[in-house]
Amino acid sequence: MADEFPFEISPMFEGERVRKDGMYVELAGPKSKGFELVKAVGMDEIEDGKFTLIGPDLSEMEEGSRHPIAMIYRVAGELVEPDLEAIVERRNHDFQNYIQGVMHLNQRYDIWIRVSKDAVKKGLNSFEQVAKATMMLFKNELPFIEKIETTYITDLAEAEKELEAAMESYKIRDERTRNLHDEDVDVFYGCTLCQSFAPTNVCVVTPDRISLCGAINWFDGRAAAKVDPEGPQFAIEKGEVIDAVGGEYSGVNDLAKSLSNGEYDRIKIHSFFEFPHTSCGCFEVVGFYIPEVDGIGWVDRDFTATAPNGLPFSTMAGQTGGGKQIVGFLGIGINYFRSPKFIEADGGWERVVWMPKNLKDKVLVDIPEDIVDKIATEEDVTDLESLKAFLIGKDHPILERWVEEEEEEEEEAEEAIEDIAAAAPGMMQMPAQAMMAGAVAPMAMAGGSGGGVKVILKNAKVSIDRIIIKKSE
Amino acid sequence: MTRVIAITGKGGTGKTAIAALLIRYLTKGDRVVLAIDADPDTNLPETLGCEVEKGIGDMREFMLTQRDNLPPDVNKESIFESKIYEVLSEMPRYDLLVMGRPEGSGCYCYANNLLRGIMDRLVKNYDVVIIDTAAGLEHFSRKIIRDIDDLIVITDGSRRGLRTAERIRELIRELEANVRNLYVIANKVTDANKDKITEIAEELDLELIGAVKVDKMIEERDLLGLPLFDLPDDSVAVEEVGNIAKKLEL
Ligand SMILES: Nc1ncnc2c1ncn2[C@@H]1O[C@H](COP(=O)(O)OP(=O)(O)OP(=O)(O)O)[C@@H](O)[C@H]1O
Ligand code: SF4
Ligand SMILES: [Mg+2]
Repeated sequence: MADEFPFEISPMFEGERVRKDGMYVELAGPKSKGFELVKAVGMDEIEDGKFTLIGPDLSEMEEGSRHPIAMIYRVAGELVEPDLEAIVERRNHDFQNYIQGVMHLNQRYDIWIRVSKDAVKKGLNSFEQVAKATMMLFKNELPFIEKIETTYITDLAEAEKELEAAMESYKIRDERTRNLHDEDVDVFYGCTLCQSFAPTNVCVVTPDRISLCGAINWFDGRAAAKVDPEGPQFAIEKGEVIDAVGGEYSGVNDLAKSLSNGEYDRIKIHSFFEFPHTSCGCFEVVGFYIPEVDGIGWVDRDFTATAPNGLPFSTMAGQTGGGKQIVGFLGIGINYFRSPKFIEADGGWERVVWMPKNLKDKVLVDIPEDIVDKIATEEDVTDLESLKAFLIGKDHPILERWVEEEEEEEEEAEEAIEDIAAAAPGMMQMPAQAMMAGAVAPMAMAGGSGGGVKVILKNAKVSIDRIIIKKSE
Repeated sequence: MTRVIAITGKGGTGKTAIAALLIRYLTKGDRVVLAIDADPDTNLPETLGCEVEKGIGDMREFMLTQRDNLPPDVNKESIFESKIYEVLSEMPRYDLLVMGRPEGSGCYCYANNLLRGIMDRLVKNYDVVIIDTAAGLEHFSRKIIRDIDDLIVITDGSRRGLRTAERIRELIRELEANVRNLYVIANKVTDANKDKITEIAEELDLELIGAVKVDKMIEERDLLGLPLFDLPDDSVAVEEVGNIAKKLEL
């Protein structure tokens, strides 16, 4: 098959690296420029197998020199569509590494290629050979490609000009991928890397929920699971949708049950209060329920002071980690703030009342405009009193919940536990194993009641490990 | 097949010096070596006489801080791999990687997992890999490289130094680490303590594969701040490391 080429072609050469000692030329890379691009085009727009080179060929390059390179592949076929461009383009890396004596690193505008002296000695003297081999591999391995035409550019000015157009293509593509949501896919990905220290933790990664460590998004899960389906990242069939808003799926539940050894059997991916995602301790940010305002605060690892509830990140992280479902705390990755499904089951951003300034700034553009100024930071408030005043002053949508609570409270007055003295910040602990039956807010505070706190339990089955109540001063 | 050798031992016993001399020996022969400085203090480059700006730790940090700014569907392993290649110092016959910056407070599970895969692949491109670890960092180097053929403990003449080797042997058992062989090299040996060291090593059932004497030329170079890599062939340390390498069948 590969007799026409002066080099061998095999996946065996994939990990082969060309050291500086053995390098004939270096193309693109951190000290030069270049990119690779695959474009889907119409069947009659290209000539199959055609190769064009703009700029000097390999034979005209001096040993040890460095040059820019742009590699543009235009592909066509009945099944070829723009959505496939990224996947096809990714294979350029694989295929060029199959060629003995060619090293291809990275992707897109960061590609870095070296050709070895040995390969040149054996007769590799033109980019046409590399392009033809790559085109052959594209067509063999991706049979939906019916036609392919290639242009390589080694002329700096030309390459730079084309790079501008390429950047536009990447941008369009990125917008498309950012628009991928949970409902658009059939599989999610799981990760069990952290089970070594949190044995019941299962991370579920979906297009709308990055892993809580912030390191693994849905595409990373897909890439890893494809290379090693038995590895720490693996596919989870979604199965039946049980709760579209909360993000509950039968496939995820089944898997949660088996991977946690039956510790829990339901996960709602976008819920804070009901069957929340477990946390292994690696999370970038921890969310904490503030019963006094019926809202949620978020604090990240870098914030060392205490949150308005009087607790620092480290204390809350200690409560949250360990791979258990802890109602009242939730570990997330920063990128989850950018998700349109961000704690959708609990009211999304309308439920958020406090974040450290730095964290808020990081995700500022992703916070809905009408709420962004209503979320307090450590610059606005220091404790629960000032937080409450801030929320009232800004007319935070959370106030609506207070009104509802007050109304219901009158109806259910007999169920209320009256006048529990104001819990000093942090001294009133959440029930460790509270089982909420349906109700979203397990505890609510009667707005504006000054020193006293009323705890209302509605339709709640509660088993409490420990409540510490302190006298108010 | 790549031979992976890690060098460990108490602080100041001469780990870095012996690592540099082993690399010197190997590159004078026609072996291609990957040198890894796993000590966050980063002394190996200086001892070899090459300059290094950034390490694996910096690139790992880059991956952590930049991950949310990368296009969502890029292959992070491939970016990380390229970043590791960027910090590889390419010298004649050997490449050098330094670990540098240690882990911060975030989660490194995923980044380290990628790193292990990248290192597995990179390592295969060399005849020999020499890892200079910091004292007590046997675990640490294993985080990035899974299988070690030879773990060499450098010791000074003291019984305590040899006890360290014994302790490391226990540690390997406990970790069920993939370490094939454990050897001991006595360094900065004098005529006075040479026999005693051999005796203690036998007593502790440790395989002593060499004893490097106190080397005047090393001391001179230390004073002048010159790399040990350029020591002449007739340095006593160079000669003994040559013998050791032959015993290791390098
Ligand atoms: N055989 C020798 N003769 C004379 N001096 C030596 C010899 N071996 C090492 N030294 C010197 O001893 C000092 C410590 O050696 P080296 O830095 O190699 O130890 P190390 O174990 O790597 O230390 P660290 O634990 O700080 O990394 C250095 O100044 C080194 O040049
Ligand atoms: S925190 Fe990250 S590395 Fe750990 S299990 Fe979850 S996804 Fe995997
Ligand atoms: Mg050292």
